[in-house]
Amino acid sequence: MIRKATAVWAGKATGVVSRITRRGGGTTLPGDIARAIDPHVLTKLSQDLKQGSVVITGTNGKTTTARLISWLLEGAGNTVVANRAGANLIFGVTAAAVNQAGPDGKLRADWGVFEIDEASLPKAVAEIQPHATLVLNLFRDQLDRYGELESIAKKIEQALSALPETAHVILNADDPRVAEIGLSLARKPTWYGLDDASVAQKELPHAADARTCPRCGASLIFDAVYVGHDGVYRCPNGDFQRPTPEITATDIKLDGFDSLEATIAGTRIAMPLGGLYNCYNVLAAFAAARTLGLTPDRIAQRLQTFKASFGRQERIDYRGRKIVLVLSKNPAGFNETVRTAIDLAKGRKFIIGLNDRKADGTDVSWIWDVDFEQLKGKAEVVIPAGIRAHDLAVRLKYAGVKAEEPQTDPARALDKLLELTKEGDSVHLLCTYTAMLDLRAELVRRGSALPYWET
Amino acid sequence: MRFTVGWLYPDLMNIYGDRGNILTLLQRARWRGFDPKLLELGRGNAKEMEDVDVFFFGGGQDREQALVYEDLLEFKQPPLERAVAGGAQILAVCGGYQLLGHYYQTFEGERFPGIGLIDVRTEAGKQRFIGDVVIETDIAGLTPKTLVGFENHSGRTFLGPKARPLGRIVLGHGNNGSDGMEGCIQGGVIGSYLHGSLLPKNPHLADHLIRAALRRRGVDELSRLDDSAEMSAHEQILQRAERR
Ligand SMILES: [Zn+2]
Repeated sequence: MIRKATAVWAGKATGVVSRITRRGGGTTLPGDIARAIDPHVLTKLSQDLKQGSVVITGTNGKTTTARLISWLLEGAGNTVVANRAGANLIFGVTAAAVNQAGPDGKLRADWGVFEIDEASLPKAVAEIQPHATLVLNLFRDQLDRYGELESIAKKIEQALSALPETAHVILNADDPRVAEIGLSLARKPTWYGLDDASVAQKELPHAADARTCPRCGASLIFDAVYVGHDGVYRCPNGDFQRPTPEITATDIKLDGFDSLEATIAGTRIAMPLGGLYNCYNVLAAFAAARTLGLTPDRIAQRLQTFKASFGRQERIDYRGRKIVLVLSKNPAGFNETVRTAIDLAKGRKFIIGLNDRKADGTDVSWIWDVDFEQLKGKAEVVIPAGIRAHDLAVRLKYAGVKAEEPQTDPARALDKLLELTKEGDSVHLLCTYTAMLDLRAELVRRGSALPYWET
Repeated sequence: MRFTVGWLYPDLMNIYGDRGNILTLLQRARWRGFDPKLLELGRGNAKEMEDVDVFFFGGGQDREQALVYEDLLEFKQPPLERAVAGGAQILAVCGGYQLLGHYYQTFEGERFPGIGLIDVRTEAGKQRFIGDVVIETDIAGLTPKTLVGFENHSGRTFLGPKARPLGRIVLGHGNNGSDGMEGCIQGGVIGSYLHGSLLPKNPHLADHLIRAALRRRGVDELSRLDDSAEMSAHEQILQRAERR
């Protein structure tokens, strides 16, 4: 007990210091320190929680889904402990718990809602023992960091099978790789999926990476494609197909990045968050909230006032330009944000930011799997930005998109934007994680946005 | 003039943005007034392989590579051999590079024979080589001499006497991390661990492949294109190499 309190105290002190020195808002260092003093600190703090925890993993949508679940729980009068985007390794989760613990080292809250990096899931699940675990999707992402998708899928499967019978497992039926995991489990998971032909595409985008049957290797047949390789699929040899989801979204209406409507398990939902990929996030959050005892009506009512987290469709007014920041970090995500921006939001002016730091993935070759061709003939201003702006400029050139000179300096990218746009214009910033941080930091420096730890 | 790119297993052997290599070949042919065509060569019998000027064979994850393996031996080997003998070019990267060699030996010692089109053999290594790569090549007429890319592989490839290296390592690990060489050239086949994607940032190598393939159809020279965007990206990797 004393060891836990010491760990919490040491961790908290580190967090304060790093926030004062502005080293990125103190999101993971307190976790490192606390775990060094007491390796079981996260297990102990998780046991302090009055109700339990929800853990969310998957390539895309973790942050938004976690935020949605927290929002729903808080709306029902619960106190919630949550970790921030970018701090989703075990240290970041520990830091979040440590920062919110009291002076006696005890964590006083009803629920913990944690987004967890796919590779860290086994450790996190073992320590946290969550009430519910969600797996949203598995796309190709940052292969240089992890090795390959197969081994991640295996790890997740092992983590889920180690959970007690009473724990809830909530899975995306539309993702063939997630389905493969769920179908291998002894327990029956809760499946969710989309069911609306009007928002489906006919063909798989180039970025799709789970095209073959996990049982026999045949190419899967897709009757509907929603996002990336997520859709309604079946093997021509009949040994594998999309599990029938018990929680579905139907009658989907999308309005750019502004809003979406859908009927989820019979309840009409409307919320100020756009894009088909967010329909998946809402569906996942809805499925989770049902296991937490929230009623459909209560969920629907609370979702109407949802506020997105930083960098996830955040809106910033920059000298009269209406900027929408959209994190886009891998081919599946990028294809959807480009599609939403150009087709649904009628966006015509863009900064596209590509960095190759560790958090972005050091290998930028995936930009060739993004269908930037969607911008051709429609986009009026495209400014390639970020450390790898030059690579992006080449990609855009071969996509037939007329782009400006690449700008590796975020300040110059924003200057260029001022030069090429006028007041009242809408501008979409589609960026990888740290490219987003860089541009946003420059907007903060120019007085147009708040530092992210204050949002 | 028709210019045909043959993409081997586009649905299975396509990681690390291999599509960039395809788009580069097609666009650079189009910009010169040729009539580019893409032939996707999936699993099963492939009829039109004799039309192909440049083949591309990319990398895959283990599961996909295993699916491709038997099909390659059954359906693709003889047409590929005929195509190369007739002057077509092949660019093979990562897994594709390994499968064109004599064999791939796993860490446990199990051997998968390749199609032996190039005199190389590959053995699994413990450590994965990941990062930027710069090499210097001595392909005749190639300016600049440098090629840049990104590697991510655990295979160690060794060249036999019939294959010569694509280039000498300036930055990175290359074929095996021990002899300072990267890739191979043998006749009309280029094998390499450089993805990233390789051809977009090395337009001179893309043109080398197009020119070499079209020579048998009487094309000797290609018109010049403005490569300033491509070479800026190329230059950025060279500058990184210098800073290290
Ligand atoms: Zn099957």
